[in-house]
Amino acid sequence: MTDGWKCFMNEALTTAVQELTLPLDEHRVRALSVGQLVRLSGKVTVSIGIPTHQRMAEAALQGQPLPVDIRGGAFLHLSTYVRESDGVCEPIYLNPSTSTRYNTWMPAIVRGLGPRIVGGKGGLNAESVATLQECGCVYLSFLGGGSPLLSRALRGVHSMHWTEYISQFRLLTLDVQSLGPATVAIDAQGQSIYQSVGERAKARMPAILEQMAKARALG
Amino acid sequence: MPIDSDTLKLVSALLYERALKKIPDDTRGVLAQAQQRETDATARHTIMMMVESADLAHEQGSLVCSDVGIPTYSLKIGTRVQFSGQVRQAITDGFAELVANIQPPILKMVTHPLTHARSYAGKDIPIVSYDLIDDADYMDIVCSPKAMGTGRWEAAETFVYPTIEQAEKYVLDVILRAGSQPCLPIVVGVGIGGTLDHATKMAKEAMLRPHGQAHPDPMLAGMERRLLEAINQMGLGAMGTSGDCSAMAVNVEYSAGHGFVPIAVSLNCWINRRTAARIHHDGRVEMLYE
Repeated sequence: MTDGWKCFMNEALTTAVQELTLPLDEHRVRALSVGQLVRLSGKVTVSIGIPTHQRMAEAALQGQPLPVDIRGGAFLHLSTYVRESDGVCEPIYLNPSTSTRYNTWMPAIVRGLGPRIVGGKGGLNAESVATLQECGCVYLSFLGGGSPLLSRALRGVHSMHWTEYISQFRLLTLDVQSLGPATVAIDAQGQSIYQSVGERAKARMPAILEQMAKARALG
Repeated sequence: MPIDSDTLKLVSALLYERALKKIPDDTRGVLAQAQQRETDATARHTIMMMVESADLAHEQGSLVCSDVGIPTYSLKIGTRVQFSGQVRQAITDGFAELVANIQPPILKMVTHPLTHARSYAGKDIPIVSYDLIDDADYMDIVCSPKAMGTGRWEAAETFVYPTIEQAEKYVLDVILRAGSQPCLPIVVGVGIGGTLDHATKMAKEAMLRPHGQAHPDPMLAGMERRLLEAINQMGLGAMGTSGDCSAMAVNVEYSAGHGFVPIAVSLNCWINRRTAARIHHDGRVEMLYE
């Protein structure tokens, strides 16, 4: 990561957190850059199920519609507990999960189903980064272990599909108000914080090892 | 007076619930200090949110993380302790009672390794390990709900007569491979020597060591200092989006063994879930840390 890029990130953080209302158009999403902080309001669809992702990708590849349209919206790797009582569904909490386990299916989901926002924690692989750039979509990093903060945004369940799955695997669409803040970690220009940080760490290793050798020699 | 099953059940459930709803006091302190020192604006903001999230969970009795992990307990039993009733079953029952009663309810995390079916229970769950403490009339229970989003990056490898330099390099390689994937800043436990199973056990125990306790052996303490500094120089940062603090602590433990030396690396995410209690022979329960 260059110092210039880091300065840019720091400057971005001095600005207010951007409030985004879903659905979003491509122009708005392409204007977002890595390091910016956003909150989301509107309908967000969530699931952390691998069978859910397989089914979504299959639908996307076959041109079949999902029970809920996520075009222009957000599809997030957030696990959610929904309390069901007397026919009323109430979301109790939510929290991000590791996104890389869905690398296999995310390109088909983004290309075929058209979300403008995806997210979770830990990022996505290079193929997904390229797909986000191609399609005009960004990846948001949510705070792992941030359940108490993030859950304050919950307003209700908009729809719940594929209920044969356990709670966190369902295709769940939630009404949220100011969900976040989350960091734009992969933008639609092909920049990935994860890739930059990983490459920088590798580049630092020779100097780190040299410094450790000196420290060992000193005892 | 023997320790009864009801006490074991109660303590097992209590330790788990507290681990889910409150980060350890020492961990909160380390995070607060890290926030003060952090020079990266994104990371500073992220660590601030971590502390806020942890405080909010504690205040309102909510879960810090929805991934409640798989339940693990480590028992150290004094040889003068007597039990009335079952021990292993009491811990299983204690966890089952927690699942049935905890508010808010927890998600199903226990997964069959081959069918991937999810549940709250399963073969060998909770995972329990046992050790002895000679002549003691108490037992210690450490509870560590293991979230595998971070745990999946743990690793072990057996080396041939490794130097300290090679051992340190291996730990750094594990951290580099994990990259931004764990919920950083992490706590790193390293187990060196013995057999492979013993090395992984030592790594876990080292990972759960309370903060600020350097290894008494200067050689091991030196490794801990160097590794912590090296990991933080990588610049992965809080939640892996760049920053000065990638690890809160590196704790190393070792055992004598063969010249073929296993080295294991255990990782805990920033919420660093660990609680511990001592049950005395007279039934008194003392929290050791939370």
